[in-house]
Amino acid sequence: MPGADKETDLTERIEAFLADLKRGGSGTGPLRGSGEMARETTYLLRRITAQARWSSAGDLMEIIRNEGRRMTAAQPSETTVGNMVRRVLKIIREEYARSRGSSEETEQQESLHKLLTAGELSEENFRQHFVHLKANVIEAINELLTELDGTTDNIAMQALEHIHSNEVIMTVGRSRTVEAFLKDAARKRKFHVIVAECAPFCQGHEMATGLSKVGIETTVIADAAIFAVMSRVNKVIIGTQTVLANGGLRAVNGTHSVALAARHHSTPLIICAPMFKLSPQVFTTIFYPFPGSFSYCLPVLREILSKVNVHCPVFDYVPPELITLFISNIGGNAPSYIYRLMSELYHPEDHKL
Amino acid sequence: MSSRGGKQKKGNVTSEQEEEEQPLQAVLVADSFNRRFFPISKDQPRALLPLGNVAMIDYTLEFLTSTGVQETFVFCCWMSNKIKDHLLKSKWCRPTSPNVVHIITSDLYRSLGDVLRDVDAKNLVRNDFILVYGDVVSNIDVSQALQEHRHRRKVDKNISVMTMVFKESSPGHKTRCEEDDVIVAMDSKSKRVLHYQKTQGLKKLQFPMNIFQHGSDEFEIRHDLLDCHISICSPQVAELFTDNFDYQTRNDFVRGILVNEEILGNQIHLYVTQDGYGARVSNLQMYDSVSLDMVRRWVYPLTPEANFTDQQGQGCTHSRHNVYRGAEVSLGHGSQMEENVLIGRDTSIGANCHISNSVIGNNCTIGDNVVLDRAHMWNNVHVSSNVEIHQSVVCDGAVVKEAVRLNKQCVLAYNVVIGPNLSLPEGTVVSMHHPEEEEEDDDDEFLSDDQEVGHTFNPAEVGPEGKGYIWKASMNDTEDEELAQCLWAFQLEVLGTLQRGLEENIVCDNLVLEINSLKYAYNITLKEVMQILTRVVLEYPFQQQGTQLTTLQYTGSLLPLLKTWSPVFKNYIKRAQDHLDCLSAVEELFLEQDTHQTAMVKVLMKMYQLEILEEEAILKWFSTGATNDKSRQLRKNQGVSTTYRAYTEQQERHCVGKGIFFSMEGAVRRTSVCGTVRPVQTPGLNTEVFLSSSAPEVYPVVERSRG
Repeated sequence: MPGADKETDLTERIEAFLADLKRGGSGTGPLRGSGEMARETTYLLRRITAQARWSSAGDLMEIIRNEGRRMTAAQPSETTVGNMVRRVLKIIREEYARSRGSSEETEQQESLHKLLTAGELSEENFRQHFVHLKANVIEAINELLTELDGTTDNIAMQALEHIHSNEVIMTVGRSRTVEAFLKDAARKRKFHVIVAECAPFCQGHEMATGLSKVGIETTVIADAAIFAVMSRVNKVIIGTQTVLANGGLRAVNGTHSVALAARHHSTPLIICAPMFKLSPQVFTTIFYPFPGSFSYCLPVLREILSKVNVHCPVFDYVPPELITLFISNIGGNAPSYIYRLMSELYHPEDHKL
Repeated sequence: MSSRGGKQKKGNVTSEQEEEEQPLQAVLVADSFNRRFFPISKDQPRALLPLGNVAMIDYTLEFLTSTGVQETFVFCCWMSNKIKDHLLKSKWCRPTSPNVVHIITSDLYRSLGDVLRDVDAKNLVRNDFILVYGDVVSNIDVSQALQEHRHRRKVDKNISVMTMVFKESSPGHKTRCEEDDVIVAMDSKSKRVLHYQKTQGLKKLQFPMNIFQHGSDEFEIRHDLLDCHISICSPQVAELFTDNFDYQTRNDFVRGILVNEEILGNQIHLYVTQDGYGARVSNLQMYDSVSLDMVRRWVYPLTPEANFTDQQGQGCTHSRHNVYRGAEVSLGHGSQMEENVLIGRDTSIGANCHISNSVIGNNCTIGDNVVLDRAHMWNNVHVSSNVEIHQSVVCDGAVVKEAVRLNKQCVLAYNVVIGPNLSLPEGTVVSMHHPEEEEEDDDDEFLSDDQEVGHTFNPAEVGPEGKGYIWKASMNDTEDEELAQCLWAFQLEVLGTLQRGLEENIVCDNLVLEINSLKYAYNITLKEVMQILTRVVLEYPFQQQGTQLTTLQYTGSLLPLLKTWSPVFKNYIKRAQDHLDCLSAVEELFLEQDTHQTAMVKVLMKMYQLEILEEEAILKWFSTGATNDKSRQLRKNQGVSTTYRAYTEQQERHCVGKGIFFSMEGAVRRTSVCGTVRPVQTPGLNTEVFLSSSAPEVYPVVERSRG
């Protein structure tokens, strides 16, 4: 039976994806980088849309929400997955609204009256069957995929507006987006980059090698030297793991100290973050995943080791007031504008999957 | 699936090769073939014991799956039905699982060797496979080691049969299992294992010089390796196990390969990883430390909150100080979870408890004012108020009543009831099975009620309301003890044989035949046979006429016996090594019987005259063996020196000069010279390595002195 085959094929793919997620996000597992993670998620969601059994938009949303919940639970530190699920849900809502012929603007608009009446009609509305809905949704997801493919380039294109000749730029650790950004600027401008190494994983070394290969003058500094060097820096350009709903960051460990140092010296702090990193999460508890069993690089501690707890927090929270500017694939924005982008990208009902 | 497998490998080239090759296979041995976890493992096979509330075998399967294994053969013996049930219910047997699990059960497996012989007989593996036990917890990415292994096999035409995976960790690290402490001599460039030996607590080890005499000129002697018990084997390994039916464990295999390297031309390599985690839960100490490592997230991404087994309701949240909470956990007023605590779902904890470094299973109830430190509690455990538990294991369904204190290393096996008002001393093991029951038939798995009535519980031991029996045997009854028992039984048999031989006047050839068959029956090495034979013969007069003999009577009755049995001796004592072994047996006996030490010289003389022992051997033994005061005294007493000193110093020097690797046991064990690790190398002589437990390690590269 071909239908059953499809079904098992789909579940197999979902299981494999979940297993990959569990084996480590954050660049350590088989999926490297949040860009790839976002693409993989979207491919999978497109496949679900195409192959799962659903008759109305409501069914499809329910399926995607369920799978999305499992995916986010599999790797809670990787917010990109949840973001892409929300994007796809939003796409389905829009396509449904378009098929019904109502303008999406009215749907979108929040008002006090809507808040009071909302709830009872939300899911009811998606029960209607449309023949072309599937094709339209897949079409829209394809557009999303092309957008994802172009994010890094789109961000890099803006580099010349921000980096000027003979500037000294500081960055932390390794970010593919920032690397592409700096390399793009290096084609026209000559500037100096200082990379904080970001111990204990020292991703900064990798970054520095990448930059120096294209002829950018690069210096690697220890994390402890960040404050001392900051006075010479014109701009701090960093990447992030997630942009939170309040405009704050969840970024690699050490970013907070860079942000504080930059504030002290009034150095602008620019964040390169593609839109898919925007998450409706708000800073609640301290983020606490410690990937890494780097324990054994501790020197010989012998018996003492059993009494030692090694904590290795991976992410810092950076409050929005320390950030000057976000550069995303759709242009530059201030942290205070993030809420607006958020409401454009995700439907408020999807914030909690 | 192939695209997923390929992604894990580095680069496209290898992934293409990967696709051409057959799927990676693994052999998982879900049986330990020992009794380290007795009496817990009487009710549940070791592979299913929970570690961080997840069965150990799940960790192993997850490890295999994440390294890209696509087909796993699980071999079970003890309680195979339970393992089978567990696996069939788990995610590994779902049709979507990327790793196909085959379960093979048989009651006939008695060792790893049997399993591998079966692998060979059934022709299960077609290519290189990974060999692990069902209690290995690891997150090591073996693909790198696998690549190296395959490359070696391609280049060297299948000479390398096995690659063992080791993890670098300093001596004294708590996840190093003392039993498995190994010292390895390896070729630095080719990563070839030259010598492999368990240290067994020895401070001084000797290496045969010949291992350093070929190959490249850079060697490493390493004691900073933790054996992960993960090996990448070529199909030849299974064949070799079939060919050598006396191989029981991997240790036997490794030693066999190394010893026969010249003849068979097989080699063993090793792969050392710096990061990653790999350990085998081989005893309760290891259980304790691996369980804590798990909670402390050393095995990332296999952390408790990841719920990698995909079981319903197994998920838990992770918060500061490594505190994990399952669903529906209730915590009383004033209770503190200090750090490294994992609490399973539906567990309720009373007020004012202090919990640290502990794992608590599902559905447990814990009363008020309870102190738990390094406690490992499994499911459905009931703990009343005012209880203190330190570094102990409490199994499923156990009940700990009011005001009980469990001191370190206690074990409460399944459904035991303890208390109230009792303090269990350190190392107590309580089980519902009576210790003597062990002697009964093993097939009788289920304890019927009648039997339970047969023994009564001792209220002094388990408390007024307690249920359970104290197990006197410590939980670490080691293989050595089993071996010692075996040797003892063998000794009795030999004694019987000789006695009968004397009474019925049996020809010595027939005696040899009988002893040989006993040797196989008890699975004893030739060396042990000889030592036991010597001992039995020398003790024979005591056996027959009581221990009150005078020295003169003793020698009087012994010497004719020696003469009668000299053909038997000659049969066993052939090589120079045998002579020395025999001498050390003689020495050992006379050290015990110190009143008869003067008889020794006569015995030696007689043995020399009967041509059982060669003079060269005696001289060598005399000059090198003196290791402690007593044996030195022995030597002084018996004037062997005066008898044989005449045979010139030159000869003596000759003997020492030849001395490569003479005695690992006995003599050496008593020496405890200790310093930093340094290879002492005298050209042409032994290479000694001193192990220390206090100084920092320096692992020098021993360079062969040329010329």
